Amino acid sequence: MPFSLGRTGLIAAVTLREALRQKLVGLLVLMAAGLVVGVRGLQDFNFGAPELKFIADFGDGAIAGFGAVLAIVLTAQLFFSEIENRTALTLLAKPVWRTEFLLGKFIGVAVVLVTFCGTLTATLAVVLGQREAGLRLEQPEAFAMGGAVNYSALVVAAWLHALKLMLLAAGTLLVASFAQTQIYAVMMGFAGFVICHLQGFAHGAYERSGASVMLMPVKLIHWIFPDFQRFAGEAAGDVSALGLGLLTIYAAGYTAVALGLAVYVFRRREV
Amino acid sequence: MTDGTESAVELEGLTKDFATGLRGVRLRAVDHLSLRIGGGEVFGLLGPNGSGKSTTIKVILGLLAPTAGACRVFGVPSDRVESRVAVGYLPEAPNFYRFLSGRELVAFYGRICGLSGAKLVARVAEVIAWVGLTEAAERRVGTYSKGMLQRIGLAQALVHDPRLVILDEPTAGVDPIGTAAITTLIRGLKAQGKTVLITSHLLAQIEEVCDRVAILDRGRLLVSGTVAELTMPKGGGPDRMSGAEREELNQWLAARGKSPTALSAQSTRLDQIFIEQVARNRPNEREESA
Ligand SMILES: Nc1ncnc2c1ncn2[C@@H]1O[C@H](COP(=O)(O)OP(=O)(O)OP(=O)(O)O)[C@@H](O)[C@H]1O
Ligand SMILES: [Mg+2]
Repeated sequence: MPFSLGRTGLIAAVTLREALRQKLVGLLVLMAAGLVVGVRGLQDFNFGAPELKFIADFGDGAIAGFGAVLAIVLTAQLFFSEIENRTALTLLAKPVWRTEFLLGKFIGVAVVLVTFCGTLTATLAVVLGQREAGLRLEQPEAFAMGGAVNYSALVVAAWLHALKLMLLAAGTLLVASFAQTQIYAVMMGFAGFVICHLQGFAHGAYERSGASVMLMPVKLIHWIFPDFQRFAGEAAGDVSALGLGLLTIYAAGYTAVALGLAVYVFRRREV
Repeated sequence: MTDGTESAVELEGLTKDFATGLRGVRLRAVDHLSLRIGGGEVFGLLGPNGSGKSTTIKVILGLLAPTAGACRVFGVPSDRVESRVAVGYLPEAPNFYRFLSGRELVAFYGRICGLSGAKLVARVAEVIAWVGLTEAAERRVGTYSKGMLQRIGLAQALVHDPRLVILDEPTAGVDPIGTAAITTLIRGLKAQGKTVLITSHLLAQIEEVCDRVAILDRGRLLVSGTVAELTMPKGGGPDRMSGAEREELNQWLAARGKSPTALSAQSTRLDQIFIEQVARNRPNEREESA
């Protein structure tokens, strides 16, 4: 019996439906949107064109931060809800591949994450657009040398966020595939997130400092974990089409490996 | 396939150990169990709590990997997805996606099993009617009572018209009327030539509906056979009374204001076999509990 995209899609759809019922999703979306919109309350600062960059960075940080929490917690929650409520028992007793089950879970979460990045980036774009229009009226001279909002960079940044969050979800699913409890999966997810963020710095620093006993382990971590710095929003403005393509392949590769390992582990799991 | 030549389920020396919390200590839930369930048969798996019935069922469904031994469903090893194509399963104390309505839930599993379009809609309505949930079908599963969960679980197990139906305590939490309905449903499945594997603690029900039963205790098979075989007195052949003896007995009963039906109202024969067998398998239990 071959692998079926149809069954995977059905599982993804039911996962998505469950995700949209989670209070956590609504809460995180509201908080992130609140921050993105609320940053306009700081317009008293009124420091001209650089204010737009401030709003953009602030919004970017909100998407990255809340997005990471969403990716990790939602993935763990949806996986363990199947295990703990014993709904996985009924589903896996049907002619369903464990691969289809896990991939369905992942796709359901991924749809939420992409929608999250898209919606919040759109919100951010609206906030930036309004502020830019206001500033242009107040201080037209500030825009003489450019400094207007770069909307295409916003789209690129949204895509980079989505890639990173999907990768994070795949990593969390890998941990969940062998974890006994949801809280363990969440903690490991956050630990992985921190490592993925910092390992680029550590690797760079150790390499510059020359030979060191720490170089080997740092190198090892550098090879095993993806480098999240590559997806940083600030890079979005000057990333080339080729660079973007390579980054996409980089993220997709790591995501595929994480999902492959998760399936390998989960196939042996007793439900 | 009611000719009985094809095996629906074959277990050979099936053993399942669970790791306990303690290092190196393992719990043997199923111990060298060998069984064959023929096609078209209604088979009852009996045993006290914790005797390994549900564990055996989960191995048959590929949800657990056996520690040793082999398990085949319609000839296909149960670790292969193909082995589950024609199998319906009602888990014990089932739980389902709470946010779907009963109809959506059954339709979801129907789609998973490859049904679609008008055929799916008709089949979903049919199995929901069989289990008597038509009126509650649009309600969310999260609002269902325990007995309703059992029923929607039964509908879900039957939606793809499986050849083997595995029911783990289908009547737990179901009222007497519902229980009778489920018994009728199982008879209907048998009439359609389906194979049914059922566990239950309601031995009267099992006795009524099963072709063969097996009694497990502590993972080991104690006895198996037809209900008639198991309840037959040792000498072979049922005990008979002469007409004179029967008359005497009836008079004895009448003198005490009882009708002859008082005899058959005793606990079921299978009940006694069950208790006897388990007690024999646990010679020390009485002193322990005393
Ligand atoms: N996942 C598990 N991990 C550890 N032990 C388990 C697990 N599942 C079952 N067991 C143990 O295996 C034994 C058999 O359990 P099982 O659920 O198969 O019994 P059962 O015959 O279905 O009982 P009941 O009539 O109460 O449903 C029990 O001692 C149980 O504690
Ligand atoms: Mg059980």
